[in-house]
Amino acid sequence: MACISIKNLKNSLDGKEILRGINLDVNKGEIMAIVGPSGSGKSTLLRCLNRLIETDEGDVIFDGKNIKSLPPVALRREIVLVHQETAMFEGTVFENVSFGPALQGEVDLAHIQKCLAEAGLPVEFAKKDASKLSGGEKKRVALARALALRPKVLLLDEPTAGVDPKKIEQVEKTILSFTKNHDLTVLWVKHHVEQAKRVSTRIANLKGGSVKEVTKTEEFKWEGAY
Amino acid sequence: MSGIPYTWEEGLFILFSVFVLLIVVIILSVIKKIGIGKEFTYAIAKGGIQLFAIAVFLTFLFEFELWYILIWLLLGTMILVSGYTSAKRAAEMPQAYSVTTPAILCGATSVLVVLAVTRAMPMEPQFIVPLAGMAFGNSMAICSLSLERLMREVRLSRLTIETALSLGATSRQALEDFGRLSIRASLIPTIDRLKTLGIIFIPGAMSGLLMAGTNPILAAEYQIIVFLMIVSGGLISTLTVYYLSRKRIFTPAEQLEAWV
Repeated sequence: MACISIKNLKNSLDGKEILRGINLDVNKGEIMAIVGPSGSGKSTLLRCLNRLIETDEGDVIFDGKNIKSLPPVALRREIVLVHQETAMFEGTVFENVSFGPALQGEVDLAHIQKCLAEAGLPVEFAKKDASKLSGGEKKRVALARALALRPKVLLLDEPTAGVDPKKIEQVEKTILSFTKNHDLTVLWVKHHVEQAKRVSTRIANLKGGSVKEVTKTEEFKWEGAY
Repeated sequence: MSGIPYTWEEGLFILFSVFVLLIVVIILSVIKKIGIGKEFTYAIAKGGIQLFAIAVFLTFLFEFELWYILIWLLLGTMILVSGYTSAKRAAEMPQAYSVTTPAILCGATSVLVVLAVTRAMPMEPQFIVPLAGMAFGNSMAICSLSLERLMREVRLSRLTIETALSLGATSRQALEDFGRLSIRASLIPTIDRLKTLGIIFIPGAMSGLLMAGTNPILAAEYQIIVFLMIVSGGLISTLTVYYLSRKRIFTPAEQLEAWV
């Protein structure tokens, strides 16, 4: 059964069409990579899915409900977006990771520590000033921060962009591991097809604001795909 | 001695003497290419004409039997002009005057009502006009500072705000820190003025009362009353700006508006 079903999704910005009728089903527990050239609408698609921006037309069905019928704040706690660029909130790593639960007044210390560990960050990191971390460490904190909300769906917008190439696989392994542990459904925007092949079960190829093809990762032929 | 010790004809001579000094300063700024000569001249001419116009209006108002009708016209103009001027600080925000005008109105009106109820402002045009001017002027200044800072923070911190929204924050929670910064920043000049009151400068109301021959203790007491009211009015204005701006910056679906 599809966890997220996207039907004829359209979006435009300043009169320019970005998404031109996206149709896509994402199964529960799968990792779907979204690939495509710059400007093909990958990031816009993710932003539409957690209603960070509004769509012009079409529907997104999540767990059997149209996302337009759900309160946006509650939706964003279930479908969490990790942005391409990482913004750290003022304060410690612990404060950053517990940001989401703290908004609801339910910070569970053991759970936050578990999220830090699953994101590959040692416990002593919790007290560090978040603004002083390296790029790769910030990405891990952002992932732990998303995981702390106990989401059902993770939307990852190039989570390894800007990370030291030697550490990309390490971050990928972290994501794969906690995705498996928590039975998460993941939509993972990837610019590099080789990386997409490493992490996903299926690949959706976006071009010019619509889905060109969706295939199993092992069947995906990337030469000339976009 | 009380009041200004010369007639208005003698005053004109003094005005022209000061004007010569000013022309020298403007010529110097042009020679040195400071680049403010034109704007300076325009501002002085505009300000001077406005002051004389209001003086003519006030002369008429103070002697007019139905002054309480005319004064509404004056107060209405003050609200609209201050709201419009302050709105220019957030040119990118559509209809920013619908944020600034109610904010200034709330701040200044609350001040004037308290002054009227406590009889610190007798119901006479000689008191209402200058005190309303002070209340609207200060609320406008605080409102402009607050709005300008808030918009700057939102522009620079767009990613942080969207990250907070993505983690399930409401628009109020996502904007809270930036709102606090803008409120604090907008009140800094007023707080600094409060701290230096009587040391670096003697403020307008007290100066006027002293020149008119009022006992300095009474003048100081009145100035403190006015200043405290102005601080309260400014705080009300800046809080209103923050609250109304939030409604403008975010959509009802807790998204940043496209123009941000």
